[in-house]
Amino acid sequence: MSEMKKIKNLKEFSTSADRFEGANLLCPGCAHSIIVREILNATNDPLILSASTGCLEVCTAVYPYTSWDASWIHIGFENSSTAIAGAEAMYKTLKRKDRLPESCKGKSPKFVAFGGDGATYDIGFQWISGCFERGHDMMYVCLDNEVYANTGGQRSSATPIGASTTTSPAGRVSYGEKMNKKDMVQIMAAHGSPYVAQVAPNKWKDMIKKIQKGFATEGPVYINAMSACTTEWKFAPDDTIAVSDLAVDSLVFPLYEIENGTKLTITYRPKNKIPVRDYLGAQGRFKHLFKPEYEYLIDEWQKRVDDYWEYLQRREEAGV
Amino acid sequence: MKYLGWDELLPGAILFSFDEEMEKDAAEVLPENRPYAETNSYTAYVGDWRVLKPVYNRDLCIDCQFCWIYCPDVSIISRDKKMIGVDYDHCKGCGICVEVCPTNPKSLLMFEEQVENEKALAQWPEKE
Ligand SMILES: Cc1ncc(C[n+]2csc(CCOP(=O)(O)OP(=O)(O)O)c2C)c(N)n1
Ligand code: SF4
Ligand code: SF4
Ligand code: SF4
Ligand SMILES: [Mg+2]
Repeated sequence: MSEMKKIKNLKEFSTSADRFEGANLLCPGCAHSIIVREILNATNDPLILSASTGCLEVCTAVYPYTSWDASWIHIGFENSSTAIAGAEAMYKTLKRKDRLPESCKGKSPKFVAFGGDGATYDIGFQWISGCFERGHDMMYVCLDNEVYANTGGQRSSATPIGASTTTSPAGRVSYGEKMNKKDMVQIMAAHGSPYVAQVAPNKWKDMIKKIQKGFATEGPVYINAMSACTTEWKFAPDDTIAVSDLAVDSLVFPLYEIENGTKLTITYRPKNKIPVRDYLGAQGRFKHLFKPEYEYLIDEWQKRVDDYWEYLQRREEAGV
Repeated sequence: MKYLGWDELLPGAILFSFDEEMEKDAAEVLPENRPYAETNSYTAYVGDWRVLKPVYNRDLCIDCQFCWIYCPDVSIISRDKKMIGVDYDHCKGCGICVEVCPTNPKSLLMFEEQVENEKALAQWPEKE
């Protein structure tokens, strides 16, 4: 185990030398890159990274350029998890046989796979599940923007009820997505993972704490990162942090962690809880919900969020 | 550099971030000291994406670093815990840095791309 990077406050953190570069082709205001910067800057250890096909991969490896200053594997939609698990397994074996090159000795590389919600909740799910069952020492980060953004905004199983997407369009006969969002954090905890957590880029301190905890944990770690998408959620690019604040303060995205499959801890309690209505109202993808015929969905949504918050609190209290 | 066509690239091809090996990991080497390769997007330019640009007013800044942490495009340059300016080669003009800046008046404001920075600074608003 190497020493943890000391990040007492934001001033100290700002002395970090980024290993993620600009002039990538992500949209102006994209939260994916804010999340990636926070995660990469949380450690000074060598990084072995991979990304599933999606906005992050496609926009940071536009030939002839790479935006990564660490080893980074460009791979298919479904298998950023297994690519990184393979690298981790090889590293372990070479270490055990004392065959690591001199320059790699005495270091503690971190193995991190990134995937969108499409890659994570749907298409790469069985690969991730396999990695977690085998117990690789890796971190899997889902950049959860609740839609297949890179291909023009199709619904995924992370898309919440009522969101209008290109394959669940709202209109005269529909209020948009009909299915409830899959609870991926609980599913990964149920794998018995030593550490799973939900994070948001606007709460950078909470993020760094969890990422460093994840890096210090041996075994497979799952991080669900809320990633507000200016293009598909339909808000102005300068509002990315404001919309993220609404998401965590309305408890639509509660911030919590689960250790060893069961021990749940809430890590952020909003001082002023904001109505879900305010979060929905800030995004074009929910615009139609404010028509009189669909407004009952906003009340249902508020109830769902309240119930889930109740449930998280009860679990935290019971320590299970 | 001669670029290969996409159909000439073989699976397993490698793009290098740096031209030579560094003694330390990049995490401990500031950008100005890195031997960036031509294939690193650091050498590319996206400034022409902007319609509006953020202008920085040093006199008002309290070096809180909110702009640094929330800039998606690594375009807020901070050294020794001080904000020192905007990297206009990589800034896409999203305006997040202006939104998160807590001073009154703000230490970062958006101006039309063609307005010179000195002129922008001369017309900075008063405290609200
Ligand atoms: C097996 C496979 N199916 C479909 C695609 C096309 N595809 C590329 S990116 C993408 C969407 C990715 O969505 P998500 O994982 O949510 O990432 P995001 O772009 O939203 O960050 C799709 C469908 C593909 N590359 N490979
Ligand atoms: S579509 Fe959304 S996730 Fe993709 S680059 Fe744009 S803002 Fe980021
Ligand atoms: S406008 Fe956006 S890209 Fe440019 S410096 Fe500000 S936050 Fe960064
Ligand atoms: S957010 Fe504003 S006050 Fe804080 S460092 Fe940036 S420019 Fe200075
Ligand atoms: Mg997505």
